[in-house]
Amino acid sequence: MSMDVLAAGILAGGLYALVGLGISLVFGVLKLMNLAHGELVMAGAYIASLFVVNAGWDPLVALPFAMAAVAVIAYPLQRILLTPLLRGSATAPLVGTFGISLVGQAIFQAVFGSHPKNLPASYATEGISVGGMRVQTVYVISFVLTIVLCLVTHFVLTHTRAGGAVRAAAADPTTAAILGLNVNRIYAFTMAGAAALAAAGGVMTGVAQSFTPTSGLPLLLTGFAVMALAGIGSVGGVFAAGVALGVIQSLSVSTFGGGWRDVVVYVLFLVVLAVRPQGLFRRAAPA
Amino acid sequence: MTRRALVSWLALGAVLISAFAQSPHMNLGDLDLGVTLLTYLAIAQAWNVLAGFSGQVSLGSAAFVATGGYSAALVLAHSQVSYVLGLAVAAACSAVLALILAVPLLRLRGDYFAVGTLAIAIAIQAALNNWVWAGGAGGLILPVDRVPMGPDLFRLAAVVAALAMGLAVFVKHSGFGLRLTAIRDNEQAAAGLGVSVYRHRLAALVPASMIIGLAGAVVAYQFVAISPSGVANLSWSLNAVLMAIVGGAGSLLGPVVGVGIVYYGLTRQLEDTQTLSQVLEGTLLIIIVRFAPEGIWPFACRMSRRAWHSRPSASRPGDRTGGSSSNRDKDPDQGRDQDPDTVSSDSVVVSTR
Repeated sequence: MSMDVLAAGILAGGLYALVGLGISLVFGVLKLMNLAHGELVMAGAYIASLFVVNAGWDPLVALPFAMAAVAVIAYPLQRILLTPLLRGSATAPLVGTFGISLVGQAIFQAVFGSHPKNLPASYATEGISVGGMRVQTVYVISFVLTIVLCLVTHFVLTHTRAGGAVRAAAADPTTAAILGLNVNRIYAFTMAGAAALAAAGGVMTGVAQSFTPTSGLPLLLTGFAVMALAGIGSVGGVFAAGVALGVIQSLSVSTFGGGWRDVVVYVLFLVVLAVRPQGLFRRAAPA
Repeated sequence: MTRRALVSWLALGAVLISAFAQSPHMNLGDLDLGVTLLTYLAIAQAWNVLAGFSGQVSLGSAAFVATGGYSAALVLAHSQVSYVLGLAVAAACSAVLALILAVPLLRLRGDYFAVGTLAIAIAIQAALNNWVWAGGAGGLILPVDRVPMGPDLFRLAAVVAALAMGLAVFVKHSGFGLRLTAIRDNEQAAAGLGVSVYRHRLAALVPASMIIGLAGAVVAYQFVAISPSGVANLSWSLNAVLMAIVGGAGSLLGPVVGVGIVYYGLTRQLEDTQTLSQVLEGTLLIIIVRFAPEGIWPFACRMSRRAWHSRPSASRPGDRTGGSSSNRDKDPDQGRDQDPDTVSSDSVVVSTR
């Protein structure tokens, strides 16, 4: 195996970690499997495309706006729609997010059309040399961005009052509510944060590859694979799992060919669930 | 066997016999429509057994439709056997897939089941697209001379749908089904009472998957030419969820009502505007789980029963309205109420006489 393949895998894994981080955050805190996460990612890409394609901005300048916009969409969605569903049967939140995912795809299709789009940038196709290996610049940028966002997420969760509240609501929502925390608001903020992370992943994905309204689904499953690999509750674990998945995918593409790329990821996901349901980077299974 | 179970079995048998009796007199268009509706019914009812009665939300119906469709098609295309053997192979392959999937999915909490089944549905579609021997993305064509047509195919679809209904009737009216719903409602409590969670879930997953596989074979026979974008399309998963949830997951007739409402209300009306149809389907799912989580059929039953009981002659303090068939009640005792409930409504009849 060549070192280029390895490097490309590690860097692509950064994007997977970014997508997986939002899914893992929502599942860890809200105990919600968000099947609409892929559409949040795509919402980031499509909203950025409004600035980039129509106004000629650089995708990195559009990035914070896309993150904010998707967070603003996600907050009321959680507050008004999903939190009440969490109190119902176990089926309801799953089916509800599945419904949101369908509506999201259809909205992208109606507003932006079904033809592939991408976010043009000077660094989208350029390559640079890192330690003697040729890699695409955009993946280096997204890798650095992922590290920054992972560190920020970790810092917010462990060193701020808001992060403490989120962890309290995750550990025991009933007690947290008794102690005066507004759990519903914490849930909505967590969802908004996860949506912002998703949007960041979406913008970088949009620069690196072309995307269509249905591109969210493979990203969703990749994110779940990252979560299964990492286990719940550790930002560092998510990052490591994303990179591991990127390397495995990159190796499988160079071995079996591009068509089997996603199949390998899904099979790996199921195998990990079978042999180590608590995740590779975690000792005890909480659920 | 309770009286309700007997009535259900008799009704199912009567409908199947009348479908067989009617099939020679129907025109080809009606037969084709019938096959489509019966296939949807089989898939939705199998999903209902999994999600409605045993609490395992599957998004992988498409995986089993594809497995059944492709295994039947490959057997027919590469040998000289009859279509009946194709069906048997379809059922067997789906069962094997279910058994394999059970290892990673059934021991985890339910949410992973949904994601895992979604992953397998996408993985199978992607694998079929790359599998050259099975025709790749272009798919393959079944030998027309050995594929059942017209009334034969209709009767086949009726049998598969009847199997699905029969499985649901059995689950609804047996001790096995009672234990299954107990696991759905409170896994820890059920396990504490000595119910093997893994075995019961597996015993629901395998037959439900076989029925979806059989339905997939019927789809392959109906289409004659199959491809990954047809039989492995995620819309099979979507329709199963949509039809069962809209009609009423956890009730026997819910999926029947759901197939009718979704097919005639959405699929048929919006054939040309795919985007709008998808928005409506998604919105309908959200509205149902948010405001009428039990689904339309149980909701209608409850309303009509309430209207019946609020008549002056029948309303009495001890009378429990709508106890027995509102399955979304999270009360773990609900199954056990059934017989006393029947008795008590009988005694009401006796005393009013």
